Amino acid sequence: MGVYIVRRLLQSVIVVIGVTLVSFLALQAGGDPTYLFVSERASLEEIEATRQALGFDRPLHMQYLSFVGDLARGDFGQSLSYRQPAMEIVLEALPATIELTLFAMLGALLLAIPLGVLAAINRGTAWDGSITTMSMLGQSIPSFWMGIMMILFFGLYMRIFPISGHVPFLAPLMAGDFGTAFSNLPRTIFHLILPGIAVGTYSLARNTRLVRSSILEVLEQDYVRTARSKGLPEMRVLVHHALRNAWLPVVTIIGLEFGFLLGGVVVVETVFSYPGIGRLLFAAINQRDIPLVQAGVILLAGIFVLLNLVVDLVYVRLDPRVKLAGGQG
Amino acid sequence: MKLRLPKARAAVAGLLSAATLTGCVERSDDTIVVGLSANITTFEPGMISSRDNANIARHIFSSLFNLTAEGEHVPELAYSLDISDDGMAYVYTLNEGLTCHDGEPLTAEDVAYTFNRIADPANRFTGNTPGFVFTSIGFRSAEAIDDLRVQINIAQRNPIALGLITEVYIHCKDAYEAMSLDAAASNPIGSGAYRLASWTRGSEVVLEKVREPGSFQRIVWRVIPEASTRTAELIAGNVDIITNVVPEQIEAINGSGRAEVQVVSGMRRMYLGFNLSAEHARLPGGDAIQNPMVRRALQYAVDVPTICRQLLSVECERATGPVNPPNDNPNLTPYPYDPATAERLLDEAGWRRGDDGMRFSIRMQAGRGRYVNDVNVVLAISQYLSDVGLDVDLELMEWASVYTPLLRGRSMGPLFFLGTGGGIWSPIYDMTDMAQVGSGTNYTHWSDPRWFDRWPELVNIATPEERRPIINEMLQVFYDDGPWLHLYFQPDFYGVSNRISWRARRDEYVEIFEATLK
Repeated sequence: MGVYIVRRLLQSVIVVIGVTLVSFLALQAGGDPTYLFVSERASLEEIEATRQALGFDRPLHMQYLSFVGDLARGDFGQSLSYRQPAMEIVLEALPATIELTLFAMLGALLLAIPLGVLAAINRGTAWDGSITTMSMLGQSIPSFWMGIMMILFFGLYMRIFPISGHVPFLAPLMAGDFGTAFSNLPRTIFHLILPGIAVGTYSLARNTRLVRSSILEVLEQDYVRTARSKGLPEMRVLVHHALRNAWLPVVTIIGLEFGFLLGGVVVVETVFSYPGIGRLLFAAINQRDIPLVQAGVILLAGIFVLLNLVVDLVYVRLDPRVKLAGGQG
Repeated sequence: MKLRLPKARAAVAGLLSAATLTGCVERSDDTIVVGLSANITTFEPGMISSRDNANIARHIFSSLFNLTAEGEHVPELAYSLDISDDGMAYVYTLNEGLTCHDGEPLTAEDVAYTFNRIADPANRFTGNTPGFVFTSIGFRSAEAIDDLRVQINIAQRNPIALGLITEVYIHCKDAYEAMSLDAAASNPIGSGAYRLASWTRGSEVVLEKVREPGSFQRIVWRVIPEASTRTAELIAGNVDIITNVVPEQIEAINGSGRAEVQVVSGMRRMYLGFNLSAEHARLPGGDAIQNPMVRRALQYAVDVPTICRQLLSVECERATGPVNPPNDNPNLTPYPYDPATAERLLDEAGWRRGDDGMRFSIRMQAGRGRYVNDVNVVLAISQYLSDVGLDVDLELMEWASVYTPLLRGRSMGPLFFLGTGGGIWSPIYDMTDMAQVGSGTNYTHWSDPRWFDRWPELVNIATPEERRPIINEMLQVFYDDGPWLHLYFQPDFYGVSNRISWRARRDEYVEIFEATLK
């Protein structure tokens, strides 16, 4: 397994560098970013001086190679707009997004499993129909629309939940300030509820359908029939035989989905003024703050690659039949 | 399992009481909350460039002189100014007893240091002060004469230098020499009435009062990019002022009973530019607009008041030229919407309708998402021009990466939609966009000698009274044969809570000093 992990980590370096190259070229495709860093009335001389100051006067390949060289030394460069180390700014925004993503994912999972099971064991009934319909609806509603509707209803009219903002929990926790972290926790959760629902609804809907179909498939298997014929109680059959085996596709999706959500919560973060990594990168892309975008992209790509690795390892643990290439199951 | 009702009630009550503590922010009477639409990126005085960023900075840093809402220069850190006879040396005398936020005395040496530090190429600052103010005034150097007097040296006499110097944020030498540039960007040690208490990047900035002026002990600036969320926070009573209200939400705010929208006629000049460069003259329609009569005809073709009413929800202040009222030429009136006159003038200019009903084709370019309802405004203009026989090829572009490079290269057009910032403190400031034919902001390449030949005379006259007749003559030329189709001064929309008393300014400055509780 050790060999497998090392090989995967080496592969991930190539993936991350590939991602940085693609994002670098994509940002450059929009034209010279210098214009975003000069005033409306800047003269051609000032524009040229700024271009040189920002390093955009060098050929593209030199800019990229210089970036990769710095990267190899652990230097992610300085944000052009914040004028601070780019990775420092990204890492500052990351805990907020992890809080939101974890909250949404956990909430979605905690609901998706019982709902999926409920729909599966009541296949063809009103329960099944309602849950399936709600799932389709959940997958169809755009998260920004749902966010705005929740702001209007729960934030403005009911005044139950905060309309926007964020109270940090992970950041003080990681800084060792446990007192602040845990005193913040109730407010953190309250600020997470609306954006968490907006982010998690799609996950909930998709995982509910996935659990349902997995359970239905497993319930048809011979070993389930055998378990039933042995006279085991239906609950035991469901939990020990069906659910355990239905986990595999769900684990795959959860792992990947966490990665997608980390980078994909930008709309919800914007609607709720949530200071996470999605909003930071969106602003950085608009501002063509290339070092900041690259730092964020590298971090997200790294997390995504690691999550994939973890999913593969969990797979082996859950299903002894799965063998890792180059390693032992 | 049934949930027992008393327990359920208790749970809901607990939830709601917790929500009251968390969801609806209780503000004390000494705190005011402002919701901004744009992110704050730096507190480095040499790097600040966006208006929202500058609005916060103005509370942390003071200037030598300041501009009032009416455009008057008033003393701030300095109490007097002497300008040398040749107009190239500005000597400011500071008030006594000034200090920076760390307690360091603020002297003339600090002021000189501020100017020279921002101008130092080694610092590679790209903000508004080095990139615009210093280049516009031709800044050369700054030196302390004694503890209280500082001299700012500029390249030549410049009638707008005084106003532009108000945008230089003064800071103390010892504090900034002790900090790296990285540290200075997030730890401002200013000279203003408020100091930075905390900054949560992407979320909020909290300022605490250290001296007068200022009615509130704390100002919280919250970054709320989404317009509908800003509106919801205002109506919910969680913020006191919001910027950039979108016109569609005015009714909701005014109808809430908790806040109202203040509409001010801003200083941004919105116009349709005619690119008169030789290169564009070779494009379809580019030849037609070289004729001043065609340009004048098109002034009558666009129904600006209707655009304002329908798309901006207000009656706009109409423009007759590049200068903001009250400094504009009082003898000029906005062109009326008169398509018959437009058609007649186009016929007289030799551009009659063809068999297909069209006079000529022309490309019109515009950025999207930069100005209030810009896409719809541009679509409407395009339709009005089509109505008088122009076959308009409209190109809407992403603002930052596509339109801005065209703008800087002065290569948009032949027709292009633009809004450029102005001021009310000097008509010359508004006219400097076209100080020279080749200047970077003369996007139109207009070269009429009746305008450009008068510049040396204009800037060398000492008094505003003597300048006035020349300005009026130049504005008349601009009105008759100029390179802009005059539209309107962009209205600015602010949402203001009924809890406070505050007046929005025309110049996009959000100053909280004079805001008070009702």
